[in-house]
Amino acid sequence: MSSSSVTNSSAAEETLRAQIFQRLHPRVYLERFIAENIRPDGRTFDEWRNVSVNVGSISTADGSALVRMGDTTIVCGVKAEIAEPELDRPEQGFLVPNIDLPAICSPKFKPGPPTEEAQVLSDRLNEALVASGALSLSSLCIHPGKAVWTLYVDCTCINYDGNAFDAALLAMLGALRSTTLPKATYNEETGHTTCSRKTRSPVPLTRNFSSASFGVLDTSHVLSDPTAFEEPLMDVTLTVIVDDRGELISTTKSGGAISEEMLLRCIDRAKERVLKLTD
Amino acid sequence: MAQSVNDRRRINGPEESYPPVFDDEDEDDLKLKTQRRRAPSDIRPIFLQPGLLSQANGSAYIETEKTKIACAVYGPRQSKTTTYSEKGRLNVEVKFAPFSCMRRRAPMRDAEDRSLGVSIHQAIVSSIRLELFPKSTIDVFITIIENDGIEGCIASGALAASTALADAGIEMLGLVASCSAAVVGDEIQLDPSEAEARASSGTVILACMPASDSITSIWQSGQMSADLSLKVPQCMEQCYERCIDIHSIVAQSLLEHRRTD
Repeated sequence: MSSSSVTNSSAAEETLRAQIFQRLHPRVYLERFIAENIRPDGRTFDEWRNVSVNVGSISTADGSALVRMGDTTIVCGVKAEIAEPELDRPEQGFLVPNIDLPAICSPKFKPGPPTEEAQVLSDRLNEALVASGALSLSSLCIHPGKAVWTLYVDCTCINYDGNAFDAALLAMLGALRSTTLPKATYNEETGHTTCSRKTRSPVPLTRNFSSASFGVLDTSHVLSDPTAFEEPLMDVTLTVIVDDRGELISTTKSGGAISEEMLLRCIDRAKERVLKLTD
Repeated sequence: MAQSVNDRRRINGPEESYPPVFDDEDEDDLKLKTQRRRAPSDIRPIFLQPGLLSQANGSAYIETEKTKIACAVYGPRQSKTTTYSEKGRLNVEVKFAPFSCMRRRAPMRDAEDRSLGVSIHQAIVSSIRLELFPKSTIDVFITIIENDGIEGCIASGALAASTALADAGIEMLGLVASCSAAVVGDEIQLDPSEAEARASSGTVILACMPASDSITSIWQSGQMSADLSLKVPQCMEQCYERCIDIHSIVAQSLLEHRRTD
């Protein structure tokens, strides 16, 4: 009995020492794993974390989705409101995506206004939704020049373990796909719009797409789906958005320089990933 | 709702937008919604899961029918202020997700968030042994994902916070259990939903530590008329009895979580 308690305490000591090393020298810690062709959480370089999507669980929202990508958890809700359209675009509705990275999701975020990371993520998500043309804004028109739908798509991260962009995009599309809008009729005499509680119709999405994010370490190791520990150590981060027909929608890269061949390889891997996801 | 100020840190929509107005042909449906389907002394079933968030020191997720709340505890960590404090500080911050209420909430924190934070702070602060953490702060962050009545939010929020603190291993004097009650006519209904609370004349929220037989906070709002003034102690009695049951639910979920670890 005493020998097993000795081995237990030495195993606990080993884990503690490894954790201290991880905190003090994160890059060396990661490089030691990379040298053995594996990552700290046990995945290979191009392995993706398990994704689970739960749609339509929030009754106060017109559409909702909860996405778990490994430990990264993002909740997205869509609220529909009615507004007057812009003067130069009288038949277009509004799509307002936003992501919030509150203090609850990670110790590195402090409470307060959106940090730079959250603002950049919101902007990139907005660009992705607009550039893909997945939702035609003219389908949100109730009465040209008078009343259009505004879809507020808000994501909140509850647990941040890296790769918030992929999870948030997945959550936003899932929430939009589950959104139903009540039938609205514009009364020309009073100028009011009334909606029916009984008939609801789904939002018409034309395209289905997903994104794949990679991190590059030491210009030669490409890790897909980096965790919160790996992300700050990456030299280059790369995100590729592909639709379900294999067409490329956008590529974003930040950080150092990479070779063209590596970029093309990542795009191919992203295509494989998206095909597998849409299954 | 109406966002006339341009928030430069977020993607903005149109200057003003209004939630959809529904026609009144469905009034009968509304009446059905306010009719209570449970017995007056029945609370909604609680689903409590500690340790859901990996990044936090301690966390809990609570779901009671239509109220969903996630809570994370960070701490004890260094205080931001340089003033020396012999006792640790407890900081409770509540945030509503924009899609959590019937009307979309602007992402900025307003008075309601802060008052909820104060209520939950009041409910749990006396249960924590703050004298063991000088110069430190314990941060409790609560995100309300779906809201079905403020009373339910305060009660479930206090439960989640207490569970998360226990999950984080912070020393406490006891677990805090919390329950709300609403007075409708002559009847006392426990754990009102939003529609039920709006139809009631007054509500009481009680937070207590059943383990040490003490009450940590009481919030009463609304009208409980003079000749029925005994209503408040009656509400407290019923809430307290329910809290004892809730306490065993919390303890059970914490034990199960530890066992599977």
